[in-house]
This record gives sequence, structure tokens and C-alpha cells, in this order.
Amino acid sequence: MSRAAVAVLVGMLLVLPWVGAREYPLALLYSTFMYAAMAVAWNIIGGFAGYLSFGHAAFFGLGGYTTGLLLVHAGLSPFLTAPVGGVVAAVFAAMTGYPCMRLRGPYFAVVTMILGLIVRALVLNFPWTGAAGGLWMPLPPWEPLAARRVFYYAMLAVFVLTVLTARAVRIGKMGVGLEAIREDEDAAQSIGVPAVRLKISALMLSAGLTGLVGGIYAYDRSYIHPDFMFDLNLSVLAVLMALLGGRQSWFGPVLGAVVVRFVDEILTIWIGTEAARIIFGLGLALVIVLLPDGLLPHLVQLRRRVPRKSAGRPVPVVRP
Amino acid sequence: MPAQVLQALVAGLLIGSVYALLAAGFSLIWGVAHVINIAHPALAVGAAYMVYALATRGVDPMASLAIVVPLFFAVGVGFHEWVIRPAARRASELALVSMVLTFGLAAALENALAAVWGPGPRVVNVSYTGVAIRLGELALPVSHVAGALLAAVTITALYLFLYKTFPGKAVRAVWQNRDGAALCGVDLRQVTSLTYGLAVASAGVAGVALTLIYSFSPASHLTWLIFVFLVVIVGGVGSLVGAVLAGMLVGAVINLAALVIPFAWVPFLLFASLGILLLWRPTGLFRR
Repeated sequence: MSRAAVAVLVGMLLVLPWVGAREYPLALLYSTFMYAAMAVAWNIIGGFAGYLSFGHAAFFGLGGYTTGLLLVHAGLSPFLTAPVGGVVAAVFAAMTGYPCMRLRGPYFAVVTMILGLIVRALVLNFPWTGAAGGLWMPLPPWEPLAARRVFYYAMLAVFVLTVLTARAVRIGKMGVGLEAIREDEDAAQSIGVPAVRLKISALMLSAGLTGLVGGIYAYDRSYIHPDFMFDLNLSVLAVLMALLGGRQSWFGPVLGAVVVRFVDEILTIWIGTEAARIIFGLGLALVIVLLPDGLLPHLVQLRRRVPRKSAGRPVPVVRP
Repeated sequence: MPAQVLQALVAGLLIGSVYALLAAGFSLIWGVAHVINIAHPALAVGAAYMVYALATRGVDPMASLAIVVPLFFAVGVGFHEWVIRPAARRASELALVSMVLTFGLAAALENALAAVWGPGPRVVNVSYTGVAIRLGELALPVSHVAGALLAAVTITALYLFLYKTFPGKAVRAVWQNRDGAALCGVDLRQVTSLTYGLAVASAGVAGVALTLIYSFSPASHLTWLIFVFLVVIVGGVGSLVGAVLAGMLVGAVINLAALVIPFAWVPFLLFASLGILLLWRPTGLFRR
């Protein structure tokens, strides 16, 4: 997308709450920003470095529980402590990432999935996190519409921050290093790419941003429970959205998130939860069978086939 | 208290044999088809619900094997032919794609089970539920022993098939080197289909064994998934013997640990030992 288009889009999103948008559209966009931020954050390690984490729900939940516990025990606003949640998630990522990074490919994916499941089991069993009863927080002090606006802007800010970070990583030196690691880690190391440091930094950035999202989300729910803060669904959705959109840029995951979020919403409204979950699961499987490498390569192909009016300038080559 | 320790150890080995059976099928699919079948424990839970439905009509879990095994074999073959093959043709990274794909199927199955039977836990009661064999100070519930025996017999059958029969050797050949096996004239499609059938049928048997030992709910496949993953990481992919040893080890360690540390800390122990294992031997304890 061109710079102007992005500026117009962000401008529209900024004024939207003041031109008559009610609670529902704001809530829908809020959750879309949340999913998009998670997918873009996941993509920093999963797409750029090619290390497919299936445990990002752990970072999300840790961020959420950090802000939740700080609000309950110290009375600090989650808007102040969400960065702390991000830091906690990033530190946890560094600690667990170091042993996990010794594994590659599917082994890494499986181990991160176990980590996510085990962290959930831990929080479910510790009494000081509220355990299986969940954690109740004081409600945010706003009227419903005002609260929706506040959270809308908060999540929009987190989303923009995530995209800017991912973009900076992608076009910077770090992105080049990560790409080298993704293509051939041994070769990259042999020419002096500091693979371990880059992988851990990428994982920490990714986890920190995911924790930040979790921190804001927890305040919005004002009641958190391991079942949805550490939900395996979240981990897989982050992968799915990035996979569906395409993993080579920051834009693919955003596209994937928008598609997934809206399909999910439509199914939930029209069909009701349980049947919607069945259809969503089967639909997910079908999409993966039909488009295992995501939408973006197909869209790019489509664009290549249709000659544009401004022909003459070469079509940028996007690797699938 | 040696009696308590012995009791915990034996209980751990009994349940460990079911972990081993589940992990064996899972790692068979992983090794032969490069598919990480997240739906594997969900299929076992599905089988458990079938046993439950049959048991309420008076069919013993052991007798329900006659329905579960052929049905699940067919499900496995169909799954490979109609789901995995189309995905594999198009995917560049099958392992990743298959994790998302089979997670979707697991979620669909979980919710379908919840829609029919509700999200609460169920148990299967048989005539020998609550009866125990006494060996000195040891008390072994008959149903647990039956479940473990079932798992042990199935693993032995799998082992004999893989090591003593011609098609079994073809499966192992594909497991070791796909291209090499194809060059020697092994029909990859047939072998992979057969592997799927066997692995999913073994998940069905594990589900039957599960009903004899534990209660189950639609969501309990997630707990089983942790154990399957742990067993596979400890045992290493690509070894049936590794899966069996690792299954027993994980079962015994969890049961023994629950004796000395509070239950809330058991997940932490798993977590810590997994980290140490990864630092020490990232390819698993029993890998060649």
C-alpha cells in the first residue's frame, strides 16, 4: 500500500469514534486491531525468522495477568502497566526461547505449543493468580460508549506501534539477518550473522508486543481466566492469520487478521457459538487445504496477470 | 513409605502405556508423512465418546473395539486421501500447515462432541469398575490393568507389524528416507495411507483404553496433547521403542512427583524438566 493510502486509512480510523460510530462497530474494530497486532507481532519471529511459534498465547496471557495483578494488588492503571506486561512477556520469552531455539522446524513449533499449554496449567494451579476461579479486577471508570472509545484508541495505538516495529525490523539490518536465518541458518552463521542474538531479540520483540496487547485486553475484560487468556486458539489464530495473509511483509498478517476476524464475527452472529466453532474449525481446515500458502501470493499473481494502466514500470517481484 | 512409592510407580507405568500408545501413532504420522497431527488426542477422545455411547447400550469397552478399530482405520485412510494429500500438493511447508489444519479439525471435533454430550466430564462404568487386584500392599484396579494391557498389546502388534512384515518394513523405509524408498519401488501413497489408517486406529484403541482409566470431556484432548508432545520430545520422533520408554518414563515421573510435591507444582516440574532436556539433549533421550 502506498504511503498516502495508509495515511488516509489511519486518519479515517482516528476520527471514526466521533462521527457517530456506536459501541458495536468500535468493539468490532477494537478486536480486529487486537488480532491484527497479534498476527503482525507473531510474524516478527514466525514470518521473518521462520521460527513458527505455536505458543504465543503464553505471552498474551502473561501480559494480561501482569496488568491484572498490578491493578488488583497495587491499584495501577493497566494503561500504565501494559508495557510492564510486555516486558514480563519478553523476559519470559528470552528465558524459554533460549533452550527452544536449539530446535528447528516442526520441533520448535511443537515445543512452543507445549510451553503455551504448560503455562496455562501453571496459572490454573497457582492460588495467587486466582487459579481456576479467574481474576476479578475493578471495572474501568467510564460509561460504556466512552470505554469503547478509550479501548478503541488504546488498541489502535498498540496496533500502529506493532506495525511500525515490524516494518522497522523488516527493512532494517535485523530483518536482513533474520531472512538469512530463515533461508539457511547454518550458512548465515558461517558468514557471521549472530543467529542466536537475532533470534532471541526477534522473539523478545514479538512476545513483548503480544504481552502489551494482552495487557490492554485484560483491562477491557476486567475478568480474566486462564481458559481464554492462555487459549491455544489464540496461538493458532496468530499463526493462521499470518499464514492466510502471507508471511513476508507486515501487511499479510493484517490482511489475514481482517479476514479471520470478520468471518468469525459473521459466523458467531448468524449461527451461535458452538456450531460456529465447528464450522470455523472446518472452514479453517478447508482454507488451509485450498490455500496453504495464504492469500497474498494469489493476489499478487492476479495483479501480475492483469496489466495495469500505469504499465511501463516493472511490477515488483514478491516472492511467494 | 515404599508401598506408596511402588503404588505410584505402577500406576504411572499403567497410564504411561496409554501415553506411549498415543505418542506412537502420533510419531508414526509425523515420521512417515511429515504431518503433525494435533487432532490425534482429539480422535482418541472421540473414540472414548463412542465407547461411552456404546456402553450406555450395554456394550463392554473391549467389545466396542470391534467397531472402533475398523472405523478409525477407515477414518485415517480417508483423512489422508481427502484432507492431507490435497494440502500436501499445495503446501510448501507441510509440517506448519498440517498443525493449523489438524488444529482446526480438532477444534471442530471438540465442539461437535460438546454439542452432543455437553462440555462436562463423562466416565464409562463397567462391571469390573472399582474392583482391584491385590498384590501384597499393591492395589491394582482391574480396569486400569485392562487399559494398560490393551495399550501394550496394540503397541506390540504395531512393533511386530513394523519390524516383521513386508508392508511394515516399507513403512519404516519411508520413515527413514522417503526418496530412497520411492526409488526402491515403494508406493509412497499406499504406504502413507496405510500408516494413517494404522495410526488413527491406534488412537482409537488409546481412546478405548482411556475410558478404562480416566474420565474424559470434549476439552480433555488438550491435556493429552501435552503428554503426547512431551513423550515425543523425550523419546524423539522416529522411534517406536523411544515412544514406549518415554511414555512409561513420563507417566512414572508425573505420578512419583505428585507424591513429593504439591499437585499445583507438577506442571512446573514438567516445564523445568523439558527446559533442561532441551538444553542437554535437544533431539530426545532415546534417539539414535
